[in-house]
This record gives sequence, C-alpha cells and structure tokens, in this order.
Amino acid sequence: MTSTGPLHPAPTGPEEPAPTGPEENAPTGPEENAPTGPEKTVTPPPYPGLPTENEALPPARPPAEAEPRQRLHPLSPLLKGAKSLVVIVAALSWQTLSQLGPLHFAMVVAALAVAVVIFSVIGWFTTGYQVVGRELRVTEGLIWRRTRAIPLDRLQSVELRRTLLAQITGLAELRLEVVGGGKTEAPLAYLTVREASALRERLLALSGRTPVVAPEESPSPADPAAPPVAAPPAEIALHQVRNENLLTSQLLTPQAFFLPIGLAWVIMQFVLEGSWTFVGIASTVTAMAGVLLQPIRRVLADWGFRVSQDRDGRLVLHYGLTETRSQVVPTRRVQTLRITWPLLWRPKRWLMLRLEIAGVSVPESGNDNSSDRLLPVGDLDTARALIATVMPGVELTAMATSPPPSRARWLHPISLRFHGAGFTPDVFVTRWGRVTREMSLVPYARLQSVRVVQGPVQRMLGLATVYADTAGGRAGIARDRDLAEAWAIADELASRSRRARAVQATPH
Amino acid sequence: MSDPSVRTVVDALEPWPDTVEWRPVSGKLFWVQLIGIVTWTVVFAAGLITGWFFAEHPAWLVALGVEVLTGIWRVVVAARAVQAWGYAERDNDLLVRHGLLVRHLSIVPYARMQYVDVTAGPLERAFGLATVQLHTAAAASDARVPGLPPEEAARLRDRLTALGEDRAEGL
Repeated sequence: MTSTGPLHPAPTGPEEPAPTGPEENAPTGPEENAPTGPEKTVTPPPYPGLPTENEALPPARPPAEAEPRQRLHPLSPLLKGAKSLVVIVAALSWQTLSQLGPLHFAMVVAALAVAVVIFSVIGWFTTGYQVVGRELRVTEGLIWRRTRAIPLDRLQSVELRRTLLAQITGLAELRLEVVGGGKTEAPLAYLTVREASALRERLLALSGRTPVVAPEESPSPADPAAPPVAAPPAEIALHQVRNENLLTSQLLTPQAFFLPIGLAWVIMQFVLEGSWTFVGIASTVTAMAGVLLQPIRRVLADWGFRVSQDRDGRLVLHYGLTETRSQVVPTRRVQTLRITWPLLWRPKRWLMLRLEIAGVSVPESGNDNSSDRLLPVGDLDTARALIATVMPGVELTAMATSPPPSRARWLHPISLRFHGAGFTPDVFVTRWGRVTREMSLVPYARLQSVRVVQGPVQRMLGLATVYADTAGGRAGIARDRDLAEAWAIADELASRSRRARAVQATPH
Repeated sequence: MSDPSVRTVVDALEPWPDTVEWRPVSGKLFWVQLIGIVTWTVVFAAGLITGWFFAEHPAWLVALGVEVLTGIWRVVVAARAVQAWGYAERDNDLLVRHGLLVRHLSIVPYARMQYVDVTAGPLERAFGLATVQLHTAAAASDARVPGLPPEEAARLRDRLTALGEDRAEGL
C-alpha cells in the first residue's frame, strides 16, 4: 500500500470495498465510505494530508507496493520466555529442589532459561507482520511456516494488552479479534506501546467501513509535523468507574459473603480437632484461594475502568491494574448487550453491562479473561447513557416486555413474571432470571437467524421458545411463549431484521 | 406484542401456510437411516450374544430384548422424522423445520450466509442423496437439509450462494 492519496477511486459501492487494487484502496478507505455518513459528501476533495498519512506511521518504509515485513520488538522473546520459564520452574517445584540442592537447581533453571530464550529468539526471528493493502499478514514458524492473512474489513475489535512485565518494559500486545476461530487471531506480542497504538490506529482506519468520519479528521495519525505520532486520538470520556464502587461491588458477591463463613468453619474444625498440621492449613488456604480469587481477579482486571468514545464513534475501553487493557470496538460490531442485576447489588441499585462481539469467545463461568465488559458496575443513569451511545435510540427505562402466558407457570414456578420479551424500534429485548435478573438487547440489524423450538412438554402446554441468534455467541431467548405468539415473534423478528439490514445496506 | 398484521396459525409445523411452500426431503433418507440403525443394532446385538455365550446370565437376554426394542422404536421414529424434515425458500430467507419430539424451525436470511456445505457420506451417496448446510456467523444457527437428491442439492447450493453473494458481509 503506497500513499497515493489523491487517487480517489470512485465510490464503487457501499458494500464491499472495491477490489480495485489494494494500494489505492487503502488510504482512501474512510473517504470512500464517507457517503454512508450523515454528511453527503460524495467525492471529498483530495485531501492534501493524505500522501503523508502513512509515511508518518512506520519508521522506515520504502514507498514500495508492500512494505517490508516487520518484526516484533526485540525484547519480546525475553518476555515470552519469562512467562514460560515461570511455568517450568513451578512445575519443577520443591521436590526437585530438595533432591538436587540449591546449586544444581540453579544450574538446571539457568540451562532451561537459556533453552527457553533460544527457542523464543527463534520464534521472534521467524515472526513478522506486514500490512498489505487491506490485509494484515502475520507470518510465523520455523519448520511449519504459517502466514495468516487477516482482512481488515472483518476486524471486530482491537485490544492492546499490557501485562505487568510489559508495563515495566514499555511494551504491549496487540490482539485482533476476527470472526471465526475460538481464540484471538494473531496476537502480536510484543510491540512498543507507540508502535502498537500506531498500528492499531492504522488497522482501524483501514478496516474501513466505520463511516462517520469527517474527511478532515479521518487520518487520525496523519499530522506529519506532530512528533508524538502515536498519540491517541481525541477521545470523549464517557464514564469512569470509581474504584471504591468496584471494590464494594466485588465485596457484594457470594464469594465474598462466604468467606467469613468458610473461615469460621475451618477454624472451628481446627479447634475441635486440635491439630494444626501444615498440610491441613496449606490445603485449606489453597481451597479458599480458589474461591477468593475470582472477586480479586475481577477487581484487578477492572481497576480504573474508563469508557470513552474516539472521534470516529468507536468505543474505547481502558481497564486493568496488573494487566492493563485498552480495547477499541466499533459500535456497529456490538452484537448483543447484556444487562445484569445481581441479587446482592440490588440495594445499591447497581447493574453490569456486557458487550458481545463476534470472535471474542464467550467466557465460561468463572473465567474472566475475556474482554466483554462495558460497565463492570454502575447505576442506572450511567447505564442508560452508555447504552444510548452503543445503540443509539435505545432507552433502557422504556423497555416494555410481556411475560409468557400463565400456563407456563408449570415450567417456571417461581420466576415466571421475570421472563419477558418485547420489541422496541431497534432492538429485541428479552429478560429472565429471578435471583440474578438479566436482560439482553439484540439489535435487529445484527440478527443472524431465528429459531423456534418446541419440546414435548411445551407441546403439551402449547408453548414454544424463540431464539434470536447473533454472531456474539448467546442468543436472545424468548422462553415459553404461546405458540401462535412464538410464530408471530419469529416472523416479526425476521421481517424487522430484513428491514434493518436494508437500511444498513443502502444508506443513501 | 403480536403484530396484528401477522397471521398466526396454531400448528407447530405449518406456520404461514399461505406464503410458504414446504418442500419435503427425499423418502430415501429413511433407508439411509434404517441401514444405520440396523447396523448399530446388529453390532450391539452381536456383542450381547457373545457375552451370553461366555456367561449364561439372563441379564444378557434382557439387554438384548431392550436393545432390539429400542432399535425398532428408533426405526419407527426415523420413519416419521423423515416426514418432519422440510425446507422452504422464501424471498429473503430459508426456512428449515425438523424434529418430532423437539420441534425446530429455523429462519435463516440469505444475507447472513457465510458458506454453504454440501456433504454426502458413503451411504447417502449409495442412495443418491446429499446434505446441504447453510452456515452463518452464529454458531447456533441450524439450517441443515439432509436427504436431497444431488441435482436438488446443487440447485439449492447455487441458489443460496447466488442469493448470498450480493449481500453484505454477513455480520
């Protein structure tokens, strides 16, 4: 991709970026899509800043077609090696230490460290990335070479992750989320923070179809004169979670509540038995740690949670203490929004917002490693404001849902009146749950398919369940509706999603 | 909540009868399933009979009886389940229904298609059948049509891809 900025290929189509040769296409991506924005600038004038747009980004790049493959940061083998070394040493453990004696043990560890580092260096040497047209290519492997091409218009979200070690060394890991594949595709670990954020800006700019870019603003890292090339784009802060609230919210979890009970039980046991063996204490502590760890991990992960919006309308989320993350999500990539009201938070009137993005794997319960939070804890007003940002026109307080017919009581003896489904102009609303109340908002434009399922018990009662599938993993589920109503819901969903798609596809 | 403009018909397998023309799958699918069921039944029965030869305990015979009865029941279910399969192509979406005990109906818009699979196992091939599956970005989407004659499978495949390709990126 060269910087042939003034070449403006005619806006070929709103759908796919025209395959008119990647090198012309790439820099003009935002402009090409300008017609889809609110302003109807069909052919923006050749923007003079464009030729220099990309020269500012990579430090040394010949103006050739494809830029040379770039390496990751030279320190990354050390960082990666340190990680695996810790694992290995932990595996060696105390037993080996006692068998070998400290001197031999140190030698073994040193030898392992050298081996790990050599291995990592080879990995580093063979790993490279380059941006070709509208693709990011990541090459890796020594014996089995693998080149992975990631089409950037399929980019769902980009995350910059910095572990503690990376924070010390000023490095960062760039993770790209693409649909398909259960895990993150092509984590680029590690780059310097400046490189990483510059690359991220560039990838996001190339990912194109984010339409609401005014032509003047589009090349965010464009200013060739400005020395801080990778300066983050101007962001409008939307909300910042207070850390006290985060702490309180995690204290108001079942785990935290069980802690004193568990402690009392353990102490009582020891007092009754009168034996304070090391093994007993150690195993109890380990067991307790497993329970305790989750709230602590949550607090560490969500520390200093900030939500903001960059000038292209994308959501930017920053959070984390030991491992900081900064995630950029174009709002049109949000597949589903889930709102949770945990039981213990109810006196505080707090709730939690989660995003579902295609490609970001749905976490199993207890696994908090995925980046799906929009608001770890907050009150209703904050949530309303954030939802209005992510899904314009959606008003949380005006969600009318209707419950299933009362004969569904046989299936939901307690929680019937907390089930519900309803249509709003833009989203399909479903809610459920007696103890932990939950609600999910599925925009019609994001619907992938609609299913109606009727089990044998439901058939006896004349009920059916409607699933609104999205690419985000979980579906919006309207449980146990009257059969005729279920058909009506399914039909309505299908036609509404068709209309929403049509609006999306032809904005002009 | 129900939209007044939507006709609602209370039959689990026949929604919108005026607008939808359901196409059945080939009856030969039953024979494919029958062979599968019989093969497994015979294999298990052989195992049970072998067991009976080694230790003549009546439990083996009871198990054998249960197993054969299960096989017969599965055949009956399969015969009816084949009739329960159906698909319909509407202007904008593909409808697939299946299942007897648990009934499913899927509505998959063509615009959401990611790719189409056409598969045919050895047994299916012997009977001249193929399975077409439409995949979307949602893993839960369930649009699989088994038991299609090859020309119908090819037609459906081409039609699905033709309808899908001029649409958006599918997300």
